[in-house]
Formats: sequence, C-alpha cells, structure tokens
Amino acid sequence: MRPPTSLKKEFLKKWIMGLQLCSSSKKEMSFLERKKAIKLSADVAMASARNATTRWSRALISNASKDDSNKGLVECILGPESESLKRASMSLVLCNKRNRSKKILRKSCSIRRARKSSSQMVMASSIAKRLVKKRTQVLKSLVPGGGSMSEFSLIEETLDYILSLRAQVDVMRHLANATELLNRK
Amino acid sequence: MASPEMLHCLSTSGNVAGNGTDMTVFERQRVRMKWQQEQFQQQQQQQQQSYFGGNEFSMFSMGGQVGQAQQFHGLINGDSAGVGDLLGRAVKADPGLENVWPEFGKLTMPGTGFNVENAGFESAGILNCSGFEMNHTTSRTSSCPLAAAEAKVRESVLPEKIASAVGRESFKKRKADKVQSPKVVAEEETKDKRIKGCAEDGESKITEANNNKNSTTTTTTTATTTTTNNNNRETSADTSKVSEVQKPDYIHVRARRGQATDSHSLAERVRREKISERMKYLQDLVPGCNKITGKAGMLDEIINYVQSLQRQVEFLSMKLAAVNPRLDFNIDNFLAKEVFPACAANFPTIGMSSEMTNPSYLHYDPIQQVATCGVEMGINPAEIALRRTISAPVSIPDTFLDSCFTQIQPSSTWDADLQNLYGPEFHQGRLMSFPSQAAFTGPIDASNLKMEM
Repeated sequence: MRPPTSLKKEFLKKWIMGLQLCSSSKKEMSFLERKKAIKLSADVAMASARNATTRWSRALISNASKDDSNKGLVECILGPESESLKRASMSLVLCNKRNRSKKILRKSCSIRRARKSSSQMVMASSIAKRLVKKRTQVLKSLVPGGGSMSEFSLIEETLDYILSLRAQVDVMRHLANATELLNRK
Repeated sequence: MASPEMLHCLSTSGNVAGNGTDMTVFERQRVRMKWQQEQFQQQQQQQQQSYFGGNEFSMFSMGGQVGQAQQFHGLINGDSAGVGDLLGRAVKADPGLENVWPEFGKLTMPGTGFNVENAGFESAGILNCSGFEMNHTTSRTSSCPLAAAEAKVRESVLPEKIASAVGRESFKKRKADKVQSPKVVAEEETKDKRIKGCAEDGESKITEANNNKNSTTTTTTTATTTTTNNNNRETSADTSKVSEVQKPDYIHVRARRGQATDSHSLAERVRREKISERMKYLQDLVPGCNKITGKAGMLDEIINYVQSLQRQVEFLSMKLAAVNPRLDFNIDNFLAKEVFPACAANFPTIGMSSEMTNPSYLHYDPIQQVATCGVEMGINPAEIALRRTISAPVSIPDTFLDSCFTQIQPSSTWDADLQNLYGPEFHQGRLMSFPSQAAFTGPIDASNLKMEM
C-alpha cells in the first residue's frame, strides 16, 4: 500500500489537471455543472491514482468513460496509460454481465430449497445471516463495481476504497479552505 | 526465567506506542501460543485458533531488532459460533527455523497505524528453544506445565480483553476436564518446557508465516506427532487431521477437534478466517469500530463510514463550486498570497536537483508546492525543501508567480489547441503544458513535461 501522502499528492496533481482542463474548455458553467465537473475530476483522479490495480478504480473509470462528454477529461487525467486502463475496465463490465446472469440462476434455484425451521437457535443464526447478507448488499452498492465481487474481495476493495476516499476528502478540504482564505484576502 | 519475562514482555508491549487494538491482538497472540502448546496434550482443551492469512503480511511493517522482526497476528473467531472450537495441533521441530527469521525483516508496510512490537527476548528465547526441541525425545513434551501455564496466564497482568479470552479458555478447559477422565498431569513443569512449547508454536507460526509470505495461497501448519509418540494422549492429537503436501499451491489446514473434517468445511473455515482477518483491518480503519465484534454490526459501521465519506466528497465539491465562480484553480495564487505560510518561508532555502531542465521544474512546481503545502500543512520543512527543487536564481519563483497571474485566461490559441484534445490527434503533452506555458519564454519540450507527470 502506498504511503498516504504520496497518494494525496498524485491525486491532487491529476485533479488540478482535470479541473484546469474543464475550466479552460467552457467559458461559463452553472453551479451544478461546476460541481459535477469538480466531483468527476476528483473521482477519476482518485481512481487513476490507483492505476487500475483495484477493481473499484477500474469500475469508476469505466463508468466515467461511458459518458461521451466525460471521455476527453477522463483520458487526460488518466494519462498515457489510458488505453490499457480502459481496456481493463471494459473487461470488468463484461464480467459483471456474466456474474449477474449466474446470480439470477442461483436465486431461482435457491427459492425452491426448503427452509429449515424453527428451533430457536436456528432462527437466531439465520437471522444473523440474513442481516449480514443484507448489509453486504448495501456495501456492494456503495463501493463502485462491487456488484460482482466475492465477499472476501469486497472487503479488500472496501479497505482500499476507504483509504482513497479519506485522502480525497482531505485534499478537497484543504483546497476548499485555501480558496476560501484566498477569497477573503 | 522465561515466564515472568514473557509476561513482562506482554505487559510492556502494551506500553509501546501504538494502537490499542494492536497491543491486545499481539498479547492475545502470545496467550494463544501458550494455550496451544498446552493443546496437544492429553487434555483436550477448547481453544481459539491462530491463523495466518495469506496476503496480510504484506501489510505488516516489521521493526527490526537485531535484524529480526516478527509480528504475530492472530485471528479469533469472534462470532459466538466459533467459540466452542478446539484446536489440536502438534508442531514439528523445524531445523531450518533460523533461516526463516531474516525474511521477516524484509516485510514492510506503510502506515495504516499498525505498530510493531518485538520482544527481542522473544525471538532469542524461541531460537534457543528450537535447540531444545530438536534434542527432545521424551514423551512428556509440554504436557507438564499446562496447569502452571494456565495459572500463570491467569495471574498475569492483562487488559480485559485478554482476561476475558483467558477466562473463556480456562472455562473451556474446565469443561474439557470434566468431559475426560481426569488424567494426572505430572507437575514436572519446568519453564523450559513451557518455553519449548511456545517455541514449537512459534515455529509453526513462523513456518506458516514464511510460507504465506512465499505463496499467497498457502498456509502451512506442520504437524508432528513424533515428540508425543509414546503418549497414549497421543490419540487426542490424532483426531485432528493433518494434510501435508509438498506442492506450494495447496492450502494446508488443520481440522479442529470436534469438527467435520471434510474438505468443504475446511475450506469454509479458511474462508471465514480470511474474512475475519480483513475485518480486523477494517476495524482499525473505521473509527469507533473497536467495541463491535459481530460481523453484521461492523458491516453496518463500515457502510455508515463509506456513506459519510461519499457525502463529504459531494459537499466539498459543492463548496468548491460555490467558492470558485470560474473554476480557475490558480495554484500560484495560493503561493503568492501566502496562504501557506510555511511554503513561502521556505522559498529561499531550496535544495536542488540537477536532473531536469529549468522550465520543466517551474511547471512542475506549482502543483508540487500546492501538493506539499496544501496536503501536508505541518510537514517538516526539510521535506518541502527537498521537493521544491528550484534552480539557482531564486528570484525566478517570484517573477514566475507574477507572470503566472495573468496566464490562465483562455486565449484563442488555447481554445484551438484544446479542440485538438478531443480530436483524434490528441497529444498528451499539450494539455500539461497549457497552464504554465504562457509563463515560459524558453522552449518547453512537451516530452519534458510528460516526464514530470
């Protein structure tokens, strides 16, 4: 795992790059547009800082590249390796489709399975299992590209994702504070 | 000599600066080691198993003492379901033990808050004991000091977590005692034997850890029943299964006593333990997760944390959009107006690097400076000086800044160039040179800039 400060630096670099590109390309942007641009460049910069080593970053990049208007921005931020990165993220999308169909099959089979019933202990453990399952589902929806991960890799990805999110929030906060200070002077 | 020192190490390791969780985990590990060496005796005790996950060692940073460092990271199946498990484990003397140790010195992990405690004594003691182990041929291996060890463990000063774990284990032991016909434990306890027992376990863990380091999918427990051969208590050890395969891509798992030993449940157990290992890391990452032990509760916390982080990103991007009507993040402004006083103060005291040309540096600089200053506000000046490699004429930065104020207005030429960005003949370097190119009168090589990024 990279030390957090270098991660932040890389993220900041790429983010500023993307922002400058955005700002120079459009003369006037509404508030929402600006916010979207900021967030998008931040996300893509963060994902590219991981260099497609993690699934969530690949998923993020592929999602961002789907939209044509963002494509140019994404390419810039990604840099010279953009082609290979995009290829990697595209394969992820295909993987997702396959997994989804598998899951549908599995679900239809399991519905028919008889439910064991209800001594107290079995109930408790099955309740616990259901809780865990529900929460894993939620977590999968939160982490980008989480839909097709096994439970184990989901946890790993969450770890990495949390770290990157933290770095992102830190950098953004610093920048916001600095801009505020600047405007005040 | 060993036991008080060992326990002393246990308590002192807690004083080492670091995470509270680490300390208790480490100590838990030590306690577990002691338990395990009591393990493969006649007394079948219920015990928690320690298990090494595969990739985790890459995340551990080892401080070295005498060039050797190790950190044990054990796993406790925290769920109520796993509590009643027994571990039967026998450890084989590993004559190659000494070779294992240097490996650990190479493992590093950049800070996620994990700390390394190494009781130098520990390594020395265990190494010594491996000698014991090899010479030892009698049947009564470490059966002896079980009661004593347990008593010692109970007496020792431990944080409540350990105490509760110990209490649990001792309770299980009592239960096991009732179950079995009370066999006499000869009180030949010598501390040597206890150390040896620890050594055995240490070896097993080390071989495990070593193999884990070597191959990410292999965890090995080497078992031997040679040392306890003459015992009829041997039979208890036999109930556990050992799979020893020479090929590196098999996962070696020991089945616990009283559990199904088919491959499915073994794999299940491996999987579960890997997952709980990871959850431990998450526990350290997510603030406020230390008290929660259940999987569902922790998942809940994690979800909340991720959601809050994402919401923070949204909010901050909105704030930035509001503060910046034109989205011009003029970094140089930050420096010029001394938003980061530390940076400005450091300007004169710049170190130099001679690898790249001037203009490239100057381009690289603003972003670097903001990165260093904005991100590491309190960072020590030496680092900043190192990073900000500005060449000899120190006056350049000031003039550069002044000139840069005016440069980020979109000009017609720039627009035309930017169109090309989206076009087929997109040149990477062009984009990077835009923000600062106007400032440079000298020739800037696009490739130079590419090199920076």
